Formats: sequence, C-alpha cells, structure tokens
Amino acid sequence: MRKGKMFLLDILNSLLPLLSAFGIGAIIIILIGENPLTTYNIMFGKTLFEWNGFLKTLHFASPLILTGLAIAITFKASIFNMGVEGQLLVGGFFACVIGFCFEGLNPVVHVILGLLTGITCGMIFALIPAILKAYFKVNEIVVTLMLNYAAIEILRILTQTIYRDIGSGYVSTPTVAGSVMFNRIGGTRLTLFFPITIIVFVIMYIVFKKSRLGYEVTAVGKNPEFAEASGMNIKRKIIYIMLISGALSGLAGAGYMFSEKFKYTLDFSGNPGLGWDGMLIALLGRCSPIGIIIAAIFYSSLKTGGDSINIFTNVPKEIVSVIQGLTILFLSIRFINQNTKLFGNIMARFDSKKKKNEEV
Amino acid sequence: MNMLYGLSRPTSGKIFIREKEVDFFTPLDAINAGIGMVHQHFKLVPSLTICENILLGVEIMYEGKLGKLPFIDSKKAYEKVQKVSDKFKIDLNLKDKVRDISIGLKQRVEIMKMLYRNVNILILDEPTAVLTPQEVDDLIIDLKELKDKGKTIIFISHKLSEVMEVSDSIIIIRRGRVIGDVKTRDITEQEIAQIMVGRDVVLRVNKDEIGCSNNDVIYKLENISTKNMLGKEVLSDINIEVKKGEILGIAGVEGNGQNELVMILTGLMISTKGKIIFNSKNITNWWPTDIREAGIGIIHEDRYAQCLCRDMTISENIIAGYHRNPDVSKHGMMRYGEIVKKRDRLVKEYDIRIANPDGNVSQLSGGNAQKLIIAREFDPNPKLLIAYQPTHGLDVGSIEFVHNKILELRKQGAGVVMVSSDLTEIMSLSDRIAVMYNGRIIGEVDAHKTNTAEIGMLMAGITNKRSNQI
Repeated sequence: MRKGKMFLLDILNSLLPLLSAFGIGAIIIILIGENPLTTYNIMFGKTLFEWNGFLKTLHFASPLILTGLAIAITFKASIFNMGVEGQLLVGGFFACVIGFCFEGLNPVVHVILGLLTGITCGMIFALIPAILKAYFKVNEIVVTLMLNYAAIEILRILTQTIYRDIGSGYVSTPTVAGSVMFNRIGGTRLTLFFPITIIVFVIMYIVFKKSRLGYEVTAVGKNPEFAEASGMNIKRKIIYIMLISGALSGLAGAGYMFSEKFKYTLDFSGNPGLGWDGMLIALLGRCSPIGIIIAAIFYSSLKTGGDSINIFTNVPKEIVSVIQGLTILFLSIRFINQNTKLFGNIMARFDSKKKKNEEV
Repeated sequence: MNMLYGLSRPTSGKIFIREKEVDFFTPLDAINAGIGMVHQHFKLVPSLTICENILLGVEIMYEGKLGKLPFIDSKKAYEKVQKVSDKFKIDLNLKDKVRDISIGLKQRVEIMKMLYRNVNILILDEPTAVLTPQEVDDLIIDLKELKDKGKTIIFISHKLSEVMEVSDSIIIIRRGRVIGDVKTRDITEQEIAQIMVGRDVVLRVNKDEIGCSNNDVIYKLENISTKNMLGKEVLSDINIEVKKGEILGIAGVEGNGQNELVMILTGLMISTKGKIIFNSKNITNWWPTDIREAGIGIIHEDRYAQCLCRDMTISENIIAGYHRNPDVSKHGMMRYGEIVKKRDRLVKEYDIRIANPDGNVSQLSGGNAQKLIIAREFDPNPKLLIAYQPTHGLDVGSIEFVHNKILELRKQGAGVVMVSSDLTEIMSLSDRIAVMYNGRIIGEVDAHKTNTAEIGMLMAGITNKRSNQI
C-alpha cells in the first residue's frame, strides 16, 4: 500500500518539473510565433516514434545511461561525485590516445585496450577525491567539482601541444585508428557501444540489488552510524564507490570516443557536458536503475530532437537548452522541498504571525 | 534547551518570559527577548580578535555627517566592549586573536558575547566539560558575579558537585521529564544522584540464583584508557572481569565515560592503552564484525542510530553485523532467499509483530524494534553480551521480555556486561555492580549485598570503605 503510494509520488516528483519546463518552453515558442504542440510533436515524433530516429536516440543515450549510473550510485552512498564530467573527459581522451598511437593492431585487442584505458583513467581521476574524502575528510563536492576544470585545462594543453593533429584546421587530436572505431550495426546509428552499455547496466543492477557491496553501500548511505556499528569499513566503501563511479564515467568517455567522436576536440562532451547531463538524468530517474534508463532515453531524444526542430520549424535549436535548464531548475526545487523543512518553517512563521494579528 | 534558544520549536506548550508568552523561530528572536546561550562547543571565529568576535553580527559602523558608512569603527567598538567587560568585571584582552587564547578564555568570550547583547537569561550547556579544574573555579566565580549583577543563569551539567556549588535551585530532568525541582540548600549530592537514576519503579525479575563466583573468567579488561577528540582522557585504567554466567552491571550518572567504554568494547573507538581479553584471545581494537564473529553480541544504546536502519527492510536489518557469515552471503553476493527464511524464523521465534514483513524497520514499534535487535544478537548464541541501556524507552511488557532474554542467556553460561543509567534495572539483574565516575570505575559492589544509598554515594563520586576501591 504505502510502497505503491511512494512510487506514485516518485513518478509525480519527476513528471511535475518536466511538465513545468515544457510549459514554460511552450510559452517561449508561442512568443517566437510557432505552435508549441507541432514543435514538440516533431521533436518527439522524429526521435521516439520513428525506427531509425529511435535507434539514433538509443545511440546517444548510451553515454548518458553510464554517466547517470555513475552519479546515481554515489548518491546512493550519500557521496556526491560532481566530477563525472572530468572523469569522462580524461577517460575519453586517453582512450583516444591509445586509439591513434597503435596502428594495425587486432581490432578486438585494440578495442579492449582502449576501453580499459578509459576505465582506468576515469578510476584514477576519481581516486584523488575519494582518498581525500575517506582519509582527510575533505568535502568531495568541492574537490570533484574543481577537478573538472583541472581536467579540462590539462587536456586542452595536451591537445594543443603534444597530441595536436598538425593537419587539422582546428585544435584536435589525430583521428583514432580504424581498428578501434565501432562500426554501425546494419546501417543504423547503433554501434557496439549500446550493447556494452546494456551489459554494464545489468552488471551494475545485480551489484546493487544482490551483492554484499550493494547492501553495505546502501547501509552507509542511509545511516552511517548503523553501518559503522555493524562493522562496515566506511572509508573503504567510499573509495570503492568513487572507483566504480569513475570507471563508469571513464567507460562512457571511451565508448563515446570510439562510437561517435573518433578524436578529442575541445568540445568533445558538448555543452552542457555529458557528465552534467548524467546528473540531471540521475535526479530525473530518482536514482533508480530503470528510472535512469527511461530518463536517459528521454533526455537523448530531447537532445537529438533539437536538430529536427531546426529543420522543420522556425524555432531555434536552443529551445532544447532552455528546456534542459528549466528542468534542472524545477528539479532542484523538488529536491529542496523533499530534504529540508524550508517550506515547513516558512509556513509556521506565517501561521504564528497570523495568530498574533488575530489576537490583536 | 534548544527550544528556549529558538533552535527547535516545541510541538506543544508555551514559553513565558516575565509572564509574557514568546515564540522563537531563530536564535536571534531569543537574543532579542533577552536569552543568551553558550554552547558546549564554542562558536567563534579563530582568526578574528576577541573584540571582533563579540561584535560579530552587531558591528558598529562609522557615523559620518551623511549617515552610516559601511566601515567598521573599530576604536569605538573597542571602547564599547571594554565598557561592558569592565561592568561585569570579566578580564579579557580584547585585542588578542581567538586562536591564541585558552579554552577557558574562549568561554568567557562566549559569555561576553551574550552580555554585550544585553541578555538577562544566560544558558550554559555543559560549560565545564572542556575546562580544567582551575578554569572551572574561575568560571564559577564569574557566574556568581553575574548573578549578583541580576542576571539569571541556567547551568546544565552532569557534574553534581558543580551544580551544588553554583546553583540556588535545581531541576532534575530524566528522559525528557522533569522529575525533581528542589532548592539547593535542601538537598545533598547523593539524593540528587538517586533521583536521577530513579527509584520509583521497582521491577521484579525471577532470577535464579546460580553461583557463578567459581566460574572461569571469560572477558577481561586490563587498564583500558582512551582520549576523546579534544585530547582529554575520558577513560582511565578501566579494569573489569566478567565470569561465565555472570551479569556485570555498570552503573553511573550519564556522561561519566559509559559512552566511550561501550564504544571501545564494541570496536567503534580505539583505546590508547590497555588490553581486552575474550576467551583468552586478545581482541583489543578489533573491528565490530570481528568482535561479533568471535561470539560477542552487541546491543547499542540508540536503537535507530547504531542498532537499526529505519529506511532499510527488516530482512536487511536482521543480518546487519552478521552479513558476512556464509549462511547469508557467499562469494560477495547476498543470499536473499536464505535471508528471508532466517527473517521468518526469527520473527516467529521472538514473536516480533510486523504488519508487512517486506517493509522497512520504521513501521515497527519501539518494543518490536528492540525484539528485532535481540533476535539478531541472540540467535548466534553469543558467549558474551554487551548491552547498553537495553530497555531505554520501552514499555513494561517489552522491558520484561528483554530482561528475561538476558537472564536466559546468563543461564546458558554466557557473560553479560550491562551498562545502564537505570539503577533499578542494574540492581535487579546484575550479580556484581561496578560504578563509573569521571571515566573511572570508582567502586565495585556485590549486587546482593548492596542498596541504592551505597550505589548513589558511589555515583556521586564518594567512596567509603565497604566497597572495594580500585
């Protein structure tokens, strides 16, 4: 009974911000002089209800599912890894380096090597805040957040100097070798990356629902005191969680590199980056695995749908960014309402003032 | 006290100041109404001077001809603070930085902060907890001075001697209720100690007298000492022995080191000195899981903090602490099928009443939650039980259940260490009673030959010849 109610509330909490964002988006579209319904219809029709468009959406959803998971699992342990973006960039970049440094390798070996490099680099990059948090009690939010900028700048320097492709007209690394490029499956946009993502997703699902690590992480997240008294090593759990999160981010970067970008440019992850999108997806999906898949596909359709809007209507593509921003805004309002008594306090204050006035 | 200071709000009832009803939302409201609080942990900025700390939030600005300027008039501020400090005869060098001064001085700064805001009622929460004896004396002199100047002081403390020395009237609170309201000159320390631990309810337990004095020692503490985060020694040279089939009660007024002792016994705190020996194995500073695996059952004080996790299911809670045992987890995977079976078995065996077996612990009543803990800790047949306030906040029926289970365990030959501030419980269950005072075991008495008066005396820190002093 109660569980069902909670479930409904969860869905409502995810849907309301979305609807509000689309509502305000509609007002803007009307102001531009277009019909919002047709615009939204084109956006979702092309990306969700057309077979090829849907596969394209799935293709772009792959890195989003991974980054969404990477953030959701840290939320589960009440740790906040804001550095998914940086970990993704580092993972993608070094996967790319492996990709163009070796030529003529066996494709299977090369792909595995590239992906493993991406994963390892993401993990190493996540290890820094993990150790600081576990052993020196440094706030992980600040460290992970700031390390993103460190990553962006270091990678920029590497791209501009050592790994610069001289032949290219803009700042970028050389293109990866053909042996690591994921081929499109049967003429669609889908590549090997999507099945890999789904396999990783299933593994993570089992780890978090069935394994001892999942059990202990849940306990650490829900009640650290209880976890400690039950003999769980909280410090070690923090490190594990951050490593897993970093690995997922690194894999997202490497996969995105081999399936879509093929070379590192300064706008590799787009704007806002895939890591930030992942955070939105984790929130939208209420950190539940199924929710994340749905949110990632929906979000990807929003992103790819922007192009269709551009082609078929007068509405600029940027409307998608507006809707994204509004969604984050409304989601955070929900978040505040849920976790703090902000509204409760305001209401109480208001009530007592009213009472006083009545007495007077 | 947090309610008085506007940090939390009462769910019912009203607060009156000088026969006027008040309603606080923030500490600022409280200060404006004339209430100031000095917290146990100081809230000062180390890099600012004393004067700046006192004025924080009520800075004095330059007043030019055109009105106030957004700069601090430090000279005027200094003079103003100095005036207040002279008035109340509190010695402070206002230009010192707070990070350079001693803890005792920091406390004076806190008090000054409140005086500057012209409060009439001063609340001090455990003001002596961090002070040295000399600083305590100075504080008491200061407080008496303030009293003479017409300020009202509320002094919250565990330490009876200080309360006796500083106060005019005493209110004794136990478990969220006022249980005593007396004039200081009409009462002695022992009487307060007795009121604090309660003698109103007398519980009858059917205790079989089984001689255990000749049994082997199963659990032994040798010179256990530890320091808290501030580096103050909170436990010194604790020596305890527990024999098989014996219940050792540890009594004492709350805050005399019982918390730290239990944390060391259960692996949540590191001892700086000494050894813990269980079954002739040295288990000092082991992890909680290892301690449980060795055969020690643990019941913590706070049911919903350390013992259970409200937001996890009953089956997840019933394996906590034992979740590494092969019967519930194998190769890193939880065997949820087995866990559910175990839950169903224990729920039946210990008669835990639950509405939804798959639901969270938050649905359980206090008594049933405690039964769940008992079921978890008693099921592996521990050879020793560490129980800290095992009946805290329970109804009479559940108390009886817990007591009977503990006695059953004793009958099976297990040793029990029971730490409780409820003297009735200690007296009715234990075979031997050790009393803690100020981080030490101040005395040990035979439970059958003692009375509340003797224990009350020990709890107040007064020893006589009848108890074997250590």
